[in-house]
Amino acid sequence: MTAFIATFWMGFKFLWRNPVNIAILVCFPIIIILILGNALAAYISPDTDLAPAPIAVASDPDGTLGMFLQTEDISRFLDITFTNREGAEQMAADETVIAAIFEDRGDISIVRPGVGGLHTQLVLSIIDSYKQIGSAATIAAMSGKDIYALLDMEVNVRDVPLGTRIPEAMDYYAVTMLVMILLYTGMNGMDLFSKGLLSDMGNRNRLSPISKPALIGGLLAASTVTSYLQGMATFIFTGAVYGVYWGERIPLVLLTLFAFVLFSQSLCVFLVMALRNQGVVSAIAQVFFWTSTFVSNGYMKIDFGAMDKVFQYAPNAMAHTIIFGAIFGGNEMKMTVFLIALFGISAVLFVLAFLCGRRRLA
Amino acid sequence: MIASMTNIVKRYRAHTALDHLDLAIREGETLGLLGPNGAGKTTAIRVLTGLTGVDAGEVRLFDSDTPVTASAVKRRIGLVPQDLALYETLSARDNLSYFGRLYGVTGAALKARVGEVLDVLGLSDVAGKSPKKYSGGMKRRLNIGCAIIHKPELLILDEPTVGIDPQSRNHILDFVEEMNRQGTTVLYTSHYMEEVERVCSRVLIMDTGRVIAEGSVEELTRTSLFEETVTLEVRDPAPALAEGIGKVQGVLRCEVEGRLLTVTSTAGSQNLARILENASPYTILGASAKRPTLEDAFLALTGKKLRDGSENE
Ligand SMILES: Nc1ncnc2c1ncn2[C@@H]1O[C@H](COP(=O)(O)OP(=O)(O)OP(=O)(O)O)[C@@H](O)[C@H]1O
Ligand SMILES: [Mg+2]
Repeated sequence: MTAFIATFWMGFKFLWRNPVNIAILVCFPIIIILILGNALAAYISPDTDLAPAPIAVASDPDGTLGMFLQTEDISRFLDITFTNREGAEQMAADETVIAAIFEDRGDISIVRPGVGGLHTQLVLSIIDSYKQIGSAATIAAMSGKDIYALLDMEVNVRDVPLGTRIPEAMDYYAVTMLVMILLYTGMNGMDLFSKGLLSDMGNRNRLSPISKPALIGGLLAASTVTSYLQGMATFIFTGAVYGVYWGERIPLVLLTLFAFVLFSQSLCVFLVMALRNQGVVSAIAQVFFWTSTFVSNGYMKIDFGAMDKVFQYAPNAMAHTIIFGAIFGGNEMKMTVFLIALFGISAVLFVLAFLCGRRRLA
Repeated sequence: MIASMTNIVKRYRAHTALDHLDLAIREGETLGLLGPNGAGKTTAIRVLTGLTGVDAGEVRLFDSDTPVTASAVKRRIGLVPQDLALYETLSARDNLSYFGRLYGVTGAALKARVGEVLDVLGLSDVAGKSPKKYSGGMKRRLNIGCAIIHKPELLILDEPTVGIDPQSRNHILDFVEEMNRQGTTVLYTSHYMEEVERVCSRVLIMDTGRVIAEGSVEELTRTSLFEETVTLEVRDPAPALAEGIGKVQGVLRCEVEGRLLTVTSTAGSQNLARILENASPYTILGASAKRPTLEDAFLALTGKKLRDGSENE
């Protein structure tokens, strides 16, 4: 136990005393949020002089989507024409609108003429936010007509009244950022494990009487706690400075963040134990970080077409789904499955890391 | 026998790093392990401490069958690795405390012991600084400190003085001598003859994975393989002088070059007085005797120069 605690403290100090680490993991996100957050806030705020985006909507104005689009918070960004399918298609073809939105039994599709500018992004984000928060309400409205109806027992129409809290740009941005930062904290695990288990320090530790579980457990606890605290810095900062709404199910949000920290640690620890080269691992990890973040659609909605079905399982996307769901209401079944999946993937990666380590260090 | 390695064979793929190596460390001695780059010194230490397995042979520590991987055995050994193994962002004190705790030293005992080690290594003044800010010699000393915090009975130092100035090196050598005086058995690996000659009571010379010579420092340098030279500087030496000296017992040859006479004898001839006697009619401007060093011994035994061994390979 002494050895475990000693290792934990050592690792904790080791990570926090590294100025680069502190810069990257604490200052960097705060700076990014300050810069980008302010940029976003300038574009999308009630005082902006951004002209409302003209869109055509082929849906019932009194339906869920229709009502959602006409809430005060949203409608001020939009210049909506409700019409039928043909009408919307025509307007899109004529490019009199920047997007045509079709709703067919809860399936929403968007036709975008031309390339998307800020307006298009805005519309996509609004529709995305509808998908996130509207799902519970939609399910309720469509029961019996949709596959989700089969999950009726699990689906929990949450008490998040539509309209009292519409996710704002920053709400999305903060979640995306936080998840990305947490993915990045995998570097802590990489640093600590490669230092403590590989290299000459690894030999020194192996010659000492510390047990393997105490050593590995201590290192893991140190990198996990450090990473989690780094995530909390962003969590608290965005809440305090931008008033980001983290919802009423904070424990679930925090649990998800924890699962994600474990995932990022396990990924990097596995890579470094398998490849034993910090440079290569950090290159691979960076590519993975940015890819996973990019395909997971944070604030800026990007349409990947058919690949969207696959990309929803990207680690970041799963975390987004759970957290957005926890904040604004979502498919509980899916959230639970994703949360278990994050823990499960981490466990598998840790086992693989352990096997690689044992084979290499034997 | 505090440690013994018998008939050890260790291969890295096709390369045989240890080739039927026999090595024994006696209780209380300071054993020097000398050899050029790639001789297999570090590999021998890795085998001895259980960091790597062997292809053949047997390792025994502390006269028992308890494997070296048992924590009871680990507690009795301290290894100073050839390459620095420190947590660079932690202070010296934190590094020492960490390793102390791993060995079960805690509380007041740990604090006292850390202070003691810092003191003996001359690091007390910089105890709060991280090794990132240390000079090479200070890092080396801390590297040693981390290995002795738990008072090992067997201390193994793998080239502890590489790349540091004479002062730091002296400090480390003094320290090794002091540890040995206090009863620690030491295995000392080095490229440097002077060091081994100074601190070791017994020496093994290794090359290409095997021990090629063994004995006390005197024994090794006294073997008949070796020669001693006396150089005399004499004003106007006559040819008769060289002739006369050549007849002195033990003298192998006497070469004259201007004022300089180089007299080569078999080692241990103890004929310096007789040589000087022969030269006494002349004005002797200078005289120096050179006894064989381990470097010479190594050269004679292996045909390689010790320090640039790897370049000859
Ligand atoms: N992990 C390894 N894989 C392959 N070959 C190795 C490995 N470790 C050592 N060797 C080889 O074994 C031989 C002995 O190496 P070792 O490090 O024991 O020498 P050394 O006497 O400690 O040399 P030095 O004075 O340079 O430290 C060398 O030829 C080296 O190339
Ligand atoms: Mg070596």
